[in-house]
Amino acid sequence: MSIAPSERTALSEETVTDRPWVTIVWNDPINLMSYVTYVFMTYFKFDRAKAEILMLDVHEKGRATVSSGTREAMEIDVAAMHSYGLWATLQKDD
Amino acid sequence: MPDAFYRTGSGRTVIRLDDVEKSLLRSLSAQVIEFVAPDDAGDARDPLAILVGIDDEATAPVDPALARLLPDAYQDDDDAAMDFRRFTERSLRETKTAHSRTVAEALERSGEKVTLSDQEQASWLGFLNDGRLAIGTRIGLTDDNHDEIAALPDEDPRAGLLDFYDWLTYLQESLVQLHLDDLS
Repeated sequence: MSIAPSERTALSEETVTDRPWVTIVWNDPINLMSYVTYVFMTYFKFDRAKAEILMLDVHEKGRATVSSGTREAMEIDVAAMHSYGLWATLQKDD
Repeated sequence: MPDAFYRTGSGRTVIRLDDVEKSLLRSLSAQVIEFVAPDDAGDARDPLAILVGIDDEATAPVDPALARLLPDAYQDDDDAAMDFRRFTERSLRETKTAHSRTVAEALERSGEKVTLSDQEQASWLGFLNDGRLAIGTRIGLTDDNHDEIAALPDEDPRAGLLDFYDWLTYLQESLVQLHLDDLS
């Protein structure tokens, strides 16, 4: 298979720029399921149903994407999660 | 077991703690402060501190418990993680220190009955969580080794720490449930 290198590069750069950033909360053995739900409801203002779905994703799948947006906005969300003691990182959406 | 935290008829949030329990929490509060308080001896404007501040190995916590309390914000980008740390870690340390101080102050002014304001309850939740993170990481708690650690002989310090951890879990769960009821 052959792809014209210059075009390929240009396309992927554009795609990368357009992708939003996301905040991911990771599972850990210590945070309580109820506390994670409480944090999602308190900080993100999610209703209990949505907060519990995301909490269960963290618990069962090992991670959940809890917010998306600009890199700066995600850094604020990650800092907030850290202040609550949740294990969170930000990255480009994949 | 009865709920640790409860609401009075007038809506105040209260916990009853005996002297031993209060002294355990005071001691944990002092330990968390010692563990996470920003190092005020180092001034950020000091060129030497800046040099140290940009050294990855000098600032990323090596202690797993501290690393859990002050985690990396980027998984696969050490430079971005270190930049984030330089801009946010002091404030994160101050937040955690303030939570611990709030708990100590409430214990200090109270007898057996400790009544907490809304803001204090948020600090107690953060403090109980930080304490559990520090202790749980120290004793190597995973998703499935709780019973194994609980079965260790009494002379193993992890067994005693797990008892303390379980009690903190019970306190935190009780306070979280009150708040989940409020939010729902």
